[in-house]
Amino acid sequence: MKYFVSKRLGAIALALTFLVSSLTGCGSKNSASDSVEVTNNTVYRTVDEIKESGTINIGVFSDKSPFGYVDENGEYQGYDVYFGNRIGEDLGVEINYVSTEAANRIEYLQTGKVDIILANFTVTEERAQEVDFALPYMNVALGVVSHDDAVITSLDEIGDKDEVIVISGTTAETYLEKNYPDIKLQKYDAYAEAKTAFENRNGVAWANDNTEVIAFAIENPGYEVGIPSLGSADTIAPAVTKGNESLLNWLNDEIKALGEEKFFHADYETTLLDTYGADYEDTLVVEGGAITGK
Amino acid sequence: MDWEVIVSYLPRYKDALLLTLKIGWQGILLAFMIGVLCAVVMHLKIPVLRCITGFYIELFRNTPLLVQLFFLYFALPKIGVRISAQVCGSLGLGLLGGAYMAETFRSGLENIAPIQSESAMSLGMNRVQTFRYVILPQAVSSSVPGLLANVIFLLKETSVFSTISLMDLMFTAKDFIGMYAKTIECLILLVIFYLIMLLPVSVAGSFVERRLRHAEFGD
Repeated sequence: MKYFVSKRLGAIALALTFLVSSLTGCGSKNSASDSVEVTNNTVYRTVDEIKESGTINIGVFSDKSPFGYVDENGEYQGYDVYFGNRIGEDLGVEINYVSTEAANRIEYLQTGKVDIILANFTVTEERAQEVDFALPYMNVALGVVSHDDAVITSLDEIGDKDEVIVISGTTAETYLEKNYPDIKLQKYDAYAEAKTAFENRNGVAWANDNTEVIAFAIENPGYEVGIPSLGSADTIAPAVTKGNESLLNWLNDEIKALGEEKFFHADYETTLLDTYGADYEDTLVVEGGAITGK
Repeated sequence: MDWEVIVSYLPRYKDALLLTLKIGWQGILLAFMIGVLCAVVMHLKIPVLRCITGFYIELFRNTPLLVQLFFLYFALPKIGVRISAQVCGSLGLGLLGGAYMAETFRSGLENIAPIQSESAMSLGMNRVQTFRYVILPQAVSSSVPGLLANVIFLLKETSVFSTISLMDLMFTAKDFIGMYAKTIECLILLVIFYLIMLLPVSVAGSFVERRLRHAEFGD
């Protein structure tokens, strides 16, 4: 019996030693240089490499209508996807859409699972340290939607026991955690689940990109966007793996060139017009990467 | 590695550990009770109840916990049954675990040679006494290894709780990665915290197992 226990403890000790040594090993190696740079050199693919392979991997949402979603025929659709299709066309390669969740968008780039993230990715300082953003193609701010029989028009109205639904890894989450630490957040890791939870009244309100909550309120009766704009005005841009200059430059040139033909206005009219109407077109669309009025 | 980050994340991981343990143990306790009940029903071959039990076991053993949680948390409110996320977690874990525990107990009961109950009967014990004093103690001790494996399995299953907005260890790590992108730090902390939770269980488990074996066979 003593023998047995000591054998077991021995195995545990060995496992822990291994773990700790791997930690310290990795700590000392990376302390001087930027670890992200080191790993990423082998991770991303340049434009030439993508063309050679004949396929580009683009990370999009599969459950965020009307920006990135899968339609009834199983095809990816939406504002982001419309742009993605054009990228594939202009590169002359097949497109492999990879479904992402908000929280793993940076991961997918850092591990080389996708070449570009086109998943309604808001440009923020924190994120820009981890990935490289190309020129923007859409404006965005935060918004809060609530049930129309208990509309919340200010975050101060949220009581101690009320919970606000957010999606893990979104700018809404970071914003509320930083600026309203007292508001209780109920976090979900996918759009579909957050929506269902909100419909089930598991939270008093749902905070997300204002584009998303406005679309939700328009598409579903019984909801009202009490706070249409919150936080700073941000932009949405394609992101590539940190250091992938060649793809970044290609994307920037592409976005500028597409501005000439008013591509993103056409994109809006094809994918977003049904949801938002014509009123939001100039508010939302960023053409040729040029942000106006800011 | 950014040690400052690790230290600043520790409190949230600790909360997550406590939540995971709380829901985990509630679920496991429930699983034990359901398991014993079902195993007894199956063993004593009680009509009707036996069919229901069999259906329950097959249903929950052959559907993933994720699906069960989705059903409890997202579907039931649509027909007016509202259960809080934590209760859903415990209940889901308990129902899943119950099905596994039932099978483990049952195999323990079936392991007992018929001569044991025949001997007990011939000594004048009735059915209940035979079950309570002869069959059950032996069955429990012979099913302990399986039960412990189930306990560890169930604690690990808690990692799917993120879907129903429970801030368990897995979700905490994913959430931090999504917000601050410190992947290595977050994932290493995750492994360490799972080890903190599960190693003692598995060590204590081996110890208990050993003691029970000792009681059964001598050393």
